[in-house]
Amino acid sequence: MSAPSTLHPWQEMRRLQHEMEHLFGGLAPAAHGGFADEYPPVNLTRDDKVVRLEALCPGVDRPSLDITVVGDAVTIRGERKAEPEVPDERYYRRERPIGAFTRTVSLGERLDPDATQASYRNGILRLQLARAPEATPKKITIQS
Amino acid sequence: MATMTTSTPTPAAATTVRRETPDRALGTVAPRVDIFETEKSFVLLADMPGVAPDGLEVIAERGDLVVRGRVEPPAATPDYQEFELANYYRAFTLTEDLDTAGITAVLRDGVLRVEIPKSPRLQPKKIPVRTE
Repeated sequence: MSAPSTLHPWQEMRRLQHEMEHLFGGLAPAAHGGFADEYPPVNLTRDDKVVRLEALCPGVDRPSLDITVVGDAVTIRGERKAEPEVPDERYYRRERPIGAFTRTVSLGERLDPDATQASYRNGILRLQLARAPEATPKKITIQS
Repeated sequence: MATMTTSTPTPAAATTVRRETPDRALGTVAPRVDIFETEKSFVLLADMPGVAPDGLEVIAERGDLVVRGRVEPPAATPDYQEFELANYYRAFTLTEDLDTAGITAVLRDGVLRVEIPKSPRLQPKKIPVRTE
């Protein structure tokens, strides 16, 4: 298992939370109004060369989207803007979180900032993070 | 007699079949929405990340507005997972004062925006005041 061990307890909590929400037909993806929890939620997939990160963050103002890679950490910044010129009293429902967010995810292995690729499609931010050359696993041949 | 036992379906075979069709059935959740009113219309914003335009359905029928979004199941289970994509479904009741023929829907960056015009008699009318 190559996932970062420090994050495991939270993964289990999140999974339980999601299951509960599914059971009771809750709102997607997590039923709370603001960015009280860590936002955006992320999924990680690793292979030998890269770590793929997906962040669920629909409706982010594109110019505000900012991704930085330092050491083993990737930071995602962005803002979900409120509809301009709509006073509060005109709202009947307001469930979507609004505001600026910052999230840093430490991956536990050095990354190569220059080799990072990013795309934002259908409200999902996808990053392909390359390991720094010195962090790439090397196969060691055992001499007989 | 040992050969007799091997003639029954082996558990190993059954397990293989199950692995080939993993439980990828996606759940369905209600998208989070904002609803607000402008002078000329009602606007519905719905967060539906993961839905591509061809996976979206917006139907206004007999006083109901139904929003459906289909997401693509992920290719593989992530090594670390905080969110799980699900299909979306939510229905709303429309009042008679809305012009359902004029509804427009736009999907951008995972946010659906539906605008439902008010019928003309609900729209504010500016009354010119004559000076005498």
